Amino acid sequence: MTGVLPPDTATAPPTTRPARRRHTARWVAVTVLVVAAGLIAVLATRQPAAVSEVQSPLVGTQAPPVRGLTVDGRAFALARPPGTFVVLNFFAPWCEPCQAEGPELVHFAFEHQQAGDAKMVSVVFDDSASDARSYQATLGATWPTLADPQGTIALSYGVRAPPSTFLIAPDGRVVAYIVAPVTAADLDGLIARARATGA
Amino acid sequence: MRSRRFPLWTLLAVVLVAALLVGSGAFSSTPPTSAQRAASIESVIRCPSCEDLSVADSSAPTAVTVRSTVRQLVDHGLTDSQIEDYLVARYGSAIVLDPPTSGWSSLVWVLPIAGGVIAVAVLAAVLARRRRRSGTSLDDDVLVPAADPVAVEERRRFLTQSLADADAEYLAGDLTDADYLSLRQRDLARLVALGPAPAAPATPTDWATPTAWADPEPVSGGPGREGSAGSAGSAASAASATVTAERSGTPLEPDRSDRVDRSVPRRRGRNKWFLVGAIGCFVVALVVAVPLFASHRLPGQTATGSVALSPSQQVARTLDQAATVENQGQLGLAAQLYQQVLTAHPDNEVALAQLGWLEYKIGQQGSDATLLADARTKLTQAVAMTPGDYAAHLYLGTLLLQLDGNASAAVSQFDQFLADSPPSTVVGQAATVLRQAYTSAGMAVPAEVAA
Repeated sequence: MTGVLPPDTATAPPTTRPARRRHTARWVAVTVLVVAAGLIAVLATRQPAAVSEVQSPLVGTQAPPVRGLTVDGRAFALARPPGTFVVLNFFAPWCEPCQAEGPELVHFAFEHQQAGDAKMVSVVFDDSASDARSYQATLGATWPTLADPQGTIALSYGVRAPPSTFLIAPDGRVVAYIVAPVTAADLDGLIARARATGA
Repeated sequence: MRSRRFPLWTLLAVVLVAALLVGSGAFSSTPPTSAQRAASIESVIRCPSCEDLSVADSSAPTAVTVRSTVRQLVDHGLTDSQIEDYLVARYGSAIVLDPPTSGWSSLVWVLPIAGGVIAVAVLAAVLARRRRRSGTSLDDDVLVPAADPVAVEERRRFLTQSLADADAEYLAGDLTDADYLSLRQRDLARLVALGPAPAAPATPTDWATPTAWADPEPVSGGPGREGSAGSAGSAASAASATVTAERSGTPLEPDRSDRVDRSVPRRRGRNKWFLVGAIGCFVVALVVAVPLFASHRLPGQTATGSVALSPSQQVARTLDQAATVENQGQLGLAAQLYQQVLTAHPDNEVALAQLGWLEYKIGQQGSDATLLADARTKLTQAVAMTPGDYAAHLYLGTLLLQLDGNASAAVSQFDQFLADSPPSTVVGQAATVLRQAYTSAGMAVPAEVAA
C-alpha cells in the first residue's frame, strides 16, 4: 500500500495489441528486388547504343576546322561554311564496324554526288596514311580522306573511337553525332530532319 | 573514465587535422611549374578511348594527343579550368574523371554520404534503444517484493512484456545470443522472485499451457503453489535449453507459438517505417542515377565498360605502345613489343619493318654483325611484302647507304619512299640522309627533299 511506482511504462508500455512480426530478411529481399527490377526496366527500355545518336557538346555549334593533308598527300580544307551538307566520318581500316559501314558511305556519296547537296569527308583515326589509302581504294571511296597523323582533328571533334560520324549543315553547324556504323538511310533521315528544323 | 579519455581523443583529432592540412599542401607557397601543372591536369582528364584511365596513365594515341594539347594550352597561359573547359566543350563533361558537383551528377557525391548518414542514424537508434532497455531495469529491483498486489501485477506484466520483446528482438536479429540469454535469464529470475501469480478462474486447457510464464495474462491454473512451480520450472528449463543450444553453436529460437500474441511497442513500428522510407529514397535516387551515368556505349564496349578488342585492334594497340616507348628512347622495350606482335602475326609488315630498323640502329651502335644481318633480312622482307609502305623503303635505303655505301641501291629505295607520299615531317627528318644518297649517286635531289 506504499506509494510504489509502477515500472517505467514509457519504455515498454504493456499494451495488449497483437505483435507485428518483423521480417528483416523479407524487407532486404524486397529492397534488392526493387533495385534489380528498376535497373532492368531502365536498361531494357533504353535504345541499344548501336543505333543511337549520342550527345556531343558540339551539336548546335559551328563545326571546328577540318584541314590537313589527305592520304594522297594533297592539302585539303573544308570551306566554312561548307554550303552543302557534309558527312564527316572518322574511321580506321582496323575497325570492324567501320568496315561494315564502308559500302553504305560509298552508296551515300554516289547518290548525293549526283544531287550535289551533300558530300563526304573522311578522317583517319589512329592509323597510317598508307593503310587508309589502300583501304579507301579497295572500298572505292573517292572523296577526300585526311590523314590526321597527330589526331588533332579527332581531338577537336572529341572523337573517342571509330566509327564516329558528324553531320554538318550547309551553314557550318554540327547537327548530329553518331557513334555507330551508319547507313545511307540513316544519313538521309538526319539530313531530312535537319532540313525540317531549318538548317 | 570518460573525462580521463577526453584529452587523448582531442590530441588525436588535433594531430589528424594538422597532418591533413600539412599534407594537403595548403601551406606550400611555391607556384607549380608548367610541367607540374600539365601533369596535374593530365591526371584528372580521362583518356578518350579508354575507360576509367587518366591520359597521364594511358599510352593510347588519343591520350598522347590530349597530353600534347594540354601542354600546348598550359604554355599558352590558359588556366587549369580553361583547359578543362576546352576539353569538355569537345568531349563532354565525361572527359573529366571526377563527376561534376552540380546538377544530377552531384548525386554521385551525395548518395554515398546520405547512405552513410542513414546507416549511422539507424545504428545509433538501435544502440540507444538497447541502452535504454538495460538502463530502465536497474532500479526495478526496488519494487521486489512489494506488498501492493496491483504493483506486483504491473511488475509481472512488465517482465512478461520484456521477455516477449527480447524474443522479438532476438528473432529480428537485433540481439546477440549472449545478450538475449542474459536478458532472458534476468527477467525470468525476477518473474520467479515475484512469487506465485494470483489464482484466477480458468479452464483445464489453460492450465495445460506449458509456457505459461510468457503469456501476458496472469498465470492461471489450480492451486497457486503448483501454478508458480509449473511456470518457474518451465521457464528454467527453457533457459537451460537455450544455454545448451548456445554452447552447441546453434542459437535457439524461442517457441514460435509464444510470439503470436506478443505486443510490440509502437515506437518500433515507427522506426521500421523510417528505415523503409530511407531505404526507399535511396533506391529511387539510385535508379535515377544509374541510367544517367549508364550513358552511351562505344562499339565493341561491354555493359561493364571494358572495350573488347578484336585481334587486329590488339595488334594496333601493341604497335602504338611500341612506337610510344620507341619515341621515349626505350628501344629494348619497343623491340620486345614488336617481337610480341611478330610472334603472333609473322606477316605483320609494320612490326617487321620497325623491328628491323631497331635492330639496325642497335647493331650500328654496338657494331653487331649478327643484328645488322638480321635487320637487313627483316627490312628486305618488309619491302617485298608491302611495296606501298614508305617507312620500309626509307629504312632499307638508309641501311644500304650507310652500311654498304651503295648509293644507287639506296636511291632506288628512296624513290619508292617518296612515291608513297610520306608525311612531310618524316621527309624533313630524313632529308639529310636523302640528300647524301642522291648526291653520292650523282643524281638531282628531288624537289620534296630540297624544299
